[in-house]
Amino acid sequence: MPKVWNSLKHYLKKEKLMTVSHFLVMGITFLILGIFINVVVLSQTMLKYLEDQAQVTVFFKDEFGEDKINPFKDQLSSDERISEVTYVSKEEALRIFKEINEDQPVLLESISASVLPASLEIKTKDIADLESLSNELGQKEGVEEVRFYKDVVERFRSVSNTVYIVGAVLVVSFFIISYSVIISSLRTAINSRGSELEVMKLVGANDSYIKKPFIYQGVFFSVMSAVVASILMIILDFGLSKWDIFSKGLSIGFFPDFFISPVNFSLILSCILIVSGFLLGYFGSNAAVKKYLKY
Amino acid sequence: MSQIEFKNVTKEYISGVKVLDDVSFSVEQGEFIFIVGPSGAGKSTVIKLLLREESMDNGQILFQGKNIVEILPSEMPDYRRKIGVVFQDFKLLDSKTVYDNVAISLEVVNADKKDIKNIVPNVLSLVGLLDHADYRPQELSGGEKQRVAIARALAHEPDVLVADEATGMIDPDSADEVVEILEKINSLGTTVIMASHDQRIVDKLTKRVIKIEKGKIVSDKKGGKYRA
Repeated sequence: MPKVWNSLKHYLKKEKLMTVSHFLVMGITFLILGIFINVVVLSQTMLKYLEDQAQVTVFFKDEFGEDKINPFKDQLSSDERISEVTYVSKEEALRIFKEINEDQPVLLESISASVLPASLEIKTKDIADLESLSNELGQKEGVEEVRFYKDVVERFRSVSNTVYIVGAVLVVSFFIISYSVIISSLRTAINSRGSELEVMKLVGANDSYIKKPFIYQGVFFSVMSAVVASILMIILDFGLSKWDIFSKGLSIGFFPDFFISPVNFSLILSCILIVSGFLLGYFGSNAAVKKYLKY
Repeated sequence: MSQIEFKNVTKEYISGVKVLDDVSFSVEQGEFIFIVGPSGAGKSTVIKLLLREESMDNGQILFQGKNIVEILPSEMPDYRRKIGVVFQDFKLLDSKTVYDNVAISLEVVNADKKDIKNIVPNVLSLVGLLDHADYRPQELSGGEKQRVAIARALAHEPDVLVADEATGMIDPDSADEVVEILEKINSLGTTVIMASHDQRIVDKLTKRVIKIEKGKIVSDKKGGKYRA
């Protein structure tokens, strides 16, 4: 280990420009990788928040009083598709209306609780059930109107899915780019030590002796680049956490109803980047040196 | 059983030119042989095939009874350690001292540090360069560089020492010193195979001489001369 470390230190000292360019290229690659993973998770989180807000609002006719609405509400609560039903009385509706329009006193003077309809706000376990539920509720007795902002959710879902697919493709692409960068940078290093490798082989060096310094070098460059990228990711997610943009935390697309704080997410992402850096460095340097070990 | 056997070995390059054509000879343990012939005759190819740096098209090469084609890649380092090689262009590492250039052949097999400290001065002393251990190759003459290369080849005590035009880039006096060392090594029991077109050296030593011309062996005589 110390000998390999010395050889690595010697390389870093001797090839300063090459070292800087390796770090820059790989650091930027890992940073972009981290940013894309973040963008994918943020878009998934926003979708989750939007889906949580998505609801069907059922407005009742004035003659359909609270005595009829409550049994209707109980009936809905037992529906398996529904996760939450909230009754908004005429008085509650007026309070909300006043809150929203507090800067328009003239409008508020002309409004009383009697003109606003009582309503039920219904959330489903699966956002896909909103539409069918909305159609069903529209047929019910006493229902004046059913509101469901289908387009907003659908549009954002489509944007989010696009981000997810594009992000996944870019993440895979950047893994491939990182792998190629490691191989090409190590090949340059190997070529510059071609005569040394030739001599080593001729005097009977075994493969692991020849490979070891290059594997350490590859792993060192990629892990250090991943560490730098991870620190920047932690700073970014620490900012998100400070601004408290997502009160429940970030949502990971693969795990429904799972939320994680941005800081914890950035720590997990850092681990992923560093482990990826290690694996890319290890396999990349193995692949780079393999060509030179053929007998 | 001969130490090395070439049996009907043929090597052809893509251009269709036969560099070696049906070459057969054997080398006994402890022999000193010259492989001679003009440039391009196929001398270096014999050495490259023996080291398995290149593959043959036909025939067999047996080393200590084993067909070298059957040596697995994982066994190649062991095989290479049985054959010490010295090249015309020395192949020394300029960034390392004389001591380190010799020590490398032991370090690559993870030899014990204590052993390295014992063996390297011994082989440097054998080639007369113990007092140059801290020099770098660029501070040495051609003959001295070749002696370092010999010391490196000897460090892991090979069964065979192969010298490919080892005197080709050095002055006659240095060439004599190098050949004297090779004779000394041979007298200690190591087989020496030397590819050369240096008539003076070949004639002086009167060892076995295998002459190759246009890829074919044209003569193989003990106590032979370059032109015989």
